[in-house]
Amino acid sequence: MSAEVTKVGIISCSGEAIPEGTISRLATRRVLELLRPTTTVTLCLPLFLAGNEAERNFAKTHPTITIDGCEKQCAKWGTEEHSGPVSSALVVAGILGTQTAGCHRSSRDSSPPDKQAVWAVAERIAAEVDSVLAEMGPRDDVAAGSSGAQCSCSSPTPGGKLTIQGATVSLTGLPLIFEQCAERNISADTSGCAALLDAVKIYHRVLPEEEADYRSALLAAYQVFRSGARPTK
Amino acid sequence: MGNEPIENAVLVIPCSGIGKVHGLMSREATYLVTDELAPKQTDTLCLALLVKGDSEAVAAVRSHACITIDGCAKACAEKNVAMAGGRVAKAFQVAEAFKNHRGAKPGSATALTDDGWTLTREIADSVACEAARLSACEEVIR
Repeated sequence: MSAEVTKVGIISCSGEAIPEGTISRLATRRVLELLRPTTTVTLCLPLFLAGNEAERNFAKTHPTITIDGCEKQCAKWGTEEHSGPVSSALVVAGILGTQTAGCHRSSRDSSPPDKQAVWAVAERIAAEVDSVLAEMGPRDDVAAGSSGAQCSCSSPTPGGKLTIQGATVSLTGLPLIFEQCAERNISADTSGCAALLDAVKIYHRVLPEEEADYRSALLAAYQVFRSGARPTK
Repeated sequence: MGNEPIENAVLVIPCSGIGKVHGLMSREATYLVTDELAPKQTDTLCLALLVKGDSEAVAAVRSHACITIDGCAKACAEKNVAMAGGRVAKAFQVAEAFKNHRGAKPGSATALTDDGWTLTREIADSVACEAARLSACEEVIR
């Protein structure tokens, strides 16, 4: 692996015929946008055949995780056949089992089971990204860009700002975190403070001495979010 | 719906490009056609199966008329079907739909806005019309 390789590639099967393909696509997007935005990149799987040499070299220039909807593992086999060996291969059906029974192919039909499935798979992918990076050993902070092919999919994720101990803190993906909390029916009153903080701590480091400030700031921002307005950007 | 297409169906195959909103539009347009506009005349198939070289998928694109919907000029869906020896009866490009909607903000690769759904439905209508025309032709041939 060359010294330039700093980001983990995630290749989704995005299988159109089954709901698990939609879950693989959306979970990959969730990791790129929210969970590990600075350490991951992706590429459209069909580009291995339709694209150029740089695109075919994707798995040679990035440690790559494939995420497949079903046991046919098209992303894994397609990547290894046309690009290079993968570091890890995940299968939605294996992660979720029968939980996908109520899921849909189209986002028009998206329901709570679909959203829960996407979150569960996204968190599994993020854990795998961490594992792959840990195996690579100590590294410098990830560079803004990396060599080789990648999709232009790293558009900024909507964030939110909180005032903690007098300082403004930016939290990437705060609206998405609040959206998830709302789907879990976390209350927008003091009884929901602990759950809000727990949700944010999955994605952001919060020091113990800051927790009280985070609780009150998150609750205020969440109340604004639940009222229909958006947190400060 | 699984990976074995309906007999005599026109296969609608999107690129589902993961990097841009156009990929999502191709995917959702496909579902509008196969699930709502022409469920008995059309079906879809995982494009990834063709990348893998799955023999049943290759046979399917060779034995059914195919309509591809691509999000960008790289035309992954059209090229992959053609490389598998499939019959691309009509190739749609999502970008074409924007010509009559200058300044439209369709959303992101993750979610469509109202603009995005309007454009996607227009694409789906065009695809459904083409599928109906192809089905009629196939009926005549049979």
